[in-house]
Amino acid sequence: MKRRLSPLLIGFLALCLIGQGFLQRASIFPRWVRDYSPGEGKMVSEGLSPDQMLFALTGFREMIAGILWVRADSFFDSGNYDAILPVIRLVTILDPKQIDVYATGMWHIGYNFTDEEQRSDRRYIPSALALGKEGARQNDKTYEMYFETGWMWYHKIDDSYPNAVKWFETAQQQKDMLTARKNLLSNAYERNGEVDKGVDLLYRLFDDAKANAAKKDAAYGDRQNRDTLENKLDTMLVRTVQRGYVAQKEGRPLTGYDVNPPFDVGFSVKASVVEPRVIRFEGTWNVLPVGTRIRAVLKDADYPNAEPAGMKWDMSNSVNLDPPRDKTFMQDQLFVRNRRFNRKVDMSKDPTMYPFTSDRYLLEFYYNPRSAPPHIQDKFSWNGEGMTDKNFLNTEIRPGQRVVYATLELTKDQILRRGEWQDRVPVVRTKNYAEKATNADDVLLDIPSLRTK
Amino acid sequence: MRSIFSIATTTVGEAIRRRVLLIILLIGVLFLVVAPGLGVLSARSETTVLRGMMLGIIQLTSAVIAIVLTVYMIPNEIERRTIYTILSKPVQRWQFLIGKYLGAVLALGLMMLLMTTVLVFTFWLQQRDASAVADLVKAPVMYFVQMSLLAAVAIFFSTFVSPLVNFFLTGGMYLLGSLFNPFFQTLSESQGTPALAKVFAQIVNTLLPNFANYNVQNPIINPQTQIQNEAAYYLQVTIYGLFYIGILLVGGILVFDRREV
Repeated sequence: MKRRLSPLLIGFLALCLIGQGFLQRASIFPRWVRDYSPGEGKMVSEGLSPDQMLFALTGFREMIAGILWVRADSFFDSGNYDAILPVIRLVTILDPKQIDVYATGMWHIGYNFTDEEQRSDRRYIPSALALGKEGARQNDKTYEMYFETGWMWYHKIDDSYPNAVKWFETAQQQKDMLTARKNLLSNAYERNGEVDKGVDLLYRLFDDAKANAAKKDAAYGDRQNRDTLENKLDTMLVRTVQRGYVAQKEGRPLTGYDVNPPFDVGFSVKASVVEPRVIRFEGTWNVLPVGTRIRAVLKDADYPNAEPAGMKWDMSNSVNLDPPRDKTFMQDQLFVRNRRFNRKVDMSKDPTMYPFTSDRYLLEFYYNPRSAPPHIQDKFSWNGEGMTDKNFLNTEIRPGQRVVYATLELTKDQILRRGEWQDRVPVVRTKNYAEKATNADDVLLDIPSLRTK
Repeated sequence: MRSIFSIATTTVGEAIRRRVLLIILLIGVLFLVVAPGLGVLSARSETTVLRGMMLGIIQLTSAVIAIVLTVYMIPNEIERRTIYTILSKPVQRWQFLIGKYLGAVLALGLMMLLMTTVLVFTFWLQQRDASAVADLVKAPVMYFVQMSLLAAVAIFFSTFVSPLVNFFLTGGMYLLGSLFNPFFQTLSESQGTPALAKVFAQIVNTLLPNFANYNVQNPIINPQTQIQNEAAYYLQVTIYGLFYIGILLVGGILVFDRREV
């Protein structure tokens, strides 16, 4: 006998179906995503063995993450850096609250992939920053990932200081920010050209440090912090005066200040492809005191998201641990000694880092006084007010700053010494390049300073 | 009502006499006791790993118990022909099914209570932090609702499939239900997902029992995570569970009512 369905049961079923569906869609799922989802809900689909996968799904995520991270340690020890990348990704997905993995992973991706001459593979930096951003999103109530991401901008990229300021400021807003790290924001302000903000911050920090050091139970570290800040504030105040910053702000003439008149650095460069994939850079820079580092960049002429002397470092929001392997991006520093630089860059031993697949390459030379050491900034000031170059001064690529920027071009055949360049050394140079601009021996006997007229 | 109660209490008695369940329970308890020693497995804070591991042990053990306990319930009664004795008395089939389910949930609750007691005791010995212990207990409470839902899934399937098939069906449903919230979140946040796939995922996400809703351990393991209105969420997922249990039990009754035994 076929039984009929009771209308009461049907009604009850319908009520339950609608009720659970409504609750799930309207309230539970959005709240679960916001408050309870581990790892931004990312799927763990690769890299885990089936048993690990089962364990991870049934609540052992932190344990699996811990075991994987311990495993990564052995990869660090053996120098198997490539193997660490997927482990980092897995651990951060499994246990996104493990800040150490984000911080270490970011540092590892940004700093550890180098060529035979210890030049970093800058193609990884967008991934490192993306990992930092993800870590900060996942751990938004603690200062650490904001600080680490800011540090990547400040120290590794060392050019785009507004970003360093932005991240350090967010780190500063967190309750657990370490006192000893707070003053780094003033350095970032300084390098970002926001000198007043830097001074204000140092005053505030110094006041806090004084109050802390005056407490009965003050520790040695409190007194040390107060003294460090006092010293730093004094130095900063002296610099604002010495570099004509205060005079400039008050509209007084800069006559007599070190930054006036601007000093012509007389930049020139010659690049010779001495062997396949080996380039020698020679050139002039009329600043005698040591400490000048001119950034040299060699990249595909059509490098994606390229910017002068760099790229859009912040281009990626998703962590992709695979850099554009068909693109070349070499960045090096040219150290100036006795007013000249001479550096051989050998890219022949690292074909995966320098694949040279494009036909045309851009050579860029870049100097930004904001990254210069203080004794050189004393002459050039923060924005390059005391620096000029009759050929290569540029005020456009970094708005509000006076930087030196020059470009040259090379072809793939020239770099690889193929075709007509097989037996000829390709040489590209700036028009003003002179083989012997100064006599190093004479200079060593009579050392002029930046203040020498 | 009395017959439902009688069936439920008999079921509890049967459940706690089943050796296989007691062995699973014993293994779970043993793991809970030795868990503090396994904190060294992680480079991270031992407390974090300890909390994660202990809650994971309770959840995994409870899931296995819930499935093993319920998949055999109806088929065993039919196979041993004891169901005829019961149904020959003034007991409706729906009363039998609900009584069996409630008995399973009660037995499950007792076993989970034992594990939670061991968890509290072990964690207290290790950490001596009353507020942390109180926080930790929230997860097993939600797991209990989750396991009650899982038992309802198994009871529903047990009305028309064999125990072995039911074991894999329920287990698969549990994995899928645990996985679907994160999967759906990934899909909806990915810009490359086609609109049709998103609609399909929304439908599945609305219809499937979402066991992941009860995985509330994340903020318990990481106390720095701030949760807004936790009690309201717990209440909502409990009501959600009751709705779903209602669907499954009514579905089971409809199938069982039409089945030849």
